[in-house]
Amino acid sequence: MLQKSRKITFILAIISAIIGVMLTVQLRSSLHPVHKESRSIAELRTTLQKELEKHKNLLADISKYNQLYYQYETSLSEDESISVMKEELARNRRMAGMVAVEGEGVVLKVVDAQIPEEPILDENMTAPVVGEYTIDDEDLRWLVNILFANGAQAISINGHRLISTTAIRNVGDTIQIDTRTIQPPYELKALGDPEVLLSALKLEGVEENFQLANKKVLAEKMDKLMISANNETRTIQYMKPVKEKGDS
Amino acid sequence: MWLPLIGLIVGLAVGFLLDWRVPQEYSSYLSIALLAGLDTIFGGIRSFLERTFNVRIFLSGFFFNTLFAAGLAFIGGFLGIDLYLAAIVAFGVRLFNNLAVIRRIVLSRWINQQD
Repeated sequence: MLQKSRKITFILAIISAIIGVMLTVQLRSSLHPVHKESRSIAELRTTLQKELEKHKNLLADISKYNQLYYQYETSLSEDESISVMKEELARNRRMAGMVAVEGEGVVLKVVDAQIPEEPILDENMTAPVVGEYTIDDEDLRWLVNILFANGAQAISINGHRLISTTAIRNVGDTIQIDTRTIQPPYELKALGDPEVLLSALKLEGVEENFQLANKKVLAEKMDKLMISANNETRTIQYMKPVKEKGDS
Repeated sequence: MWLPLIGLIVGLAVGFLLDWRVPQEYSSYLSIALLAGLDTIFGGIRSFLERTFNVRIFLSGFFFNTLFAAGLAFIGGFLGIDLYLAAIVAFGVRLFNNLAVIRRIVLSRWINQQD
């Protein structure tokens, strides 16, 4: 009987222990969330308001900094593009012959070859010989073409800078470059690699060709050669830039 | 006689030490089970005082009642009926009944002892 009652109390103890565990678990799990939810709606509302305000401020900050960033970027690119444009413009002006340029190059002087002229004059009559042996526009064009073909970047004939639309032609007995008459002796200045230019002239047989006209080409290498600008005013009349699609 | 009380204290201590936490949605099941357990405990005490205590009935009552109460609440949650209310009412009523019987028995014994 005593043993039985002890057994019963033991069982009761176990059961009550289980009950205790359940009680504490219930207490714990209900206490903790209760603490979370015990804040009143007004309190929650004010905190929400605060957070919303903070959020708004942060958004404003973001937009501000974005704007700043955009400004910096645009100003940067504008500066850059302006400098790029300036550079490009300067380059184009140089290429178009609108500014005086200098550098190494060669000076070619087409002069009368005195020595062979004398016997010819002696053998024949003076007048027809002179007419036959003059240098015409074709010779100069040929010379200029050789120079350009071999890397000359700027050429002037008797101080007239050649540009892309320059014409060299005979007008009567004289040669005109564009509309300006030039007189012999002809002097060509070309900017480029002197070695290349001179060897090209030699290769093309300039010497011999001019010899036929009783002329001599005196070539001179120059370390520092100045070629003045083309100072004719040109009006653009017949050409318009083609607008490409996507080009604003 | 003091052993169940010690057991209760030990259980409380273990519960605090284990630091279990039941998710919010299941805490109602646990509370129902707890109520059922308490009811069984008090029923056990009453039957002990009435000298009709049976260990098997007590043990089976304890586990069956707790599990069934929790299960009832669970099914009620599924069906959309607050069945746990039924369990609470039933166990509450039984709890008070048991307490009343215990009180009467203890009182009558005390009065008998006085006499």
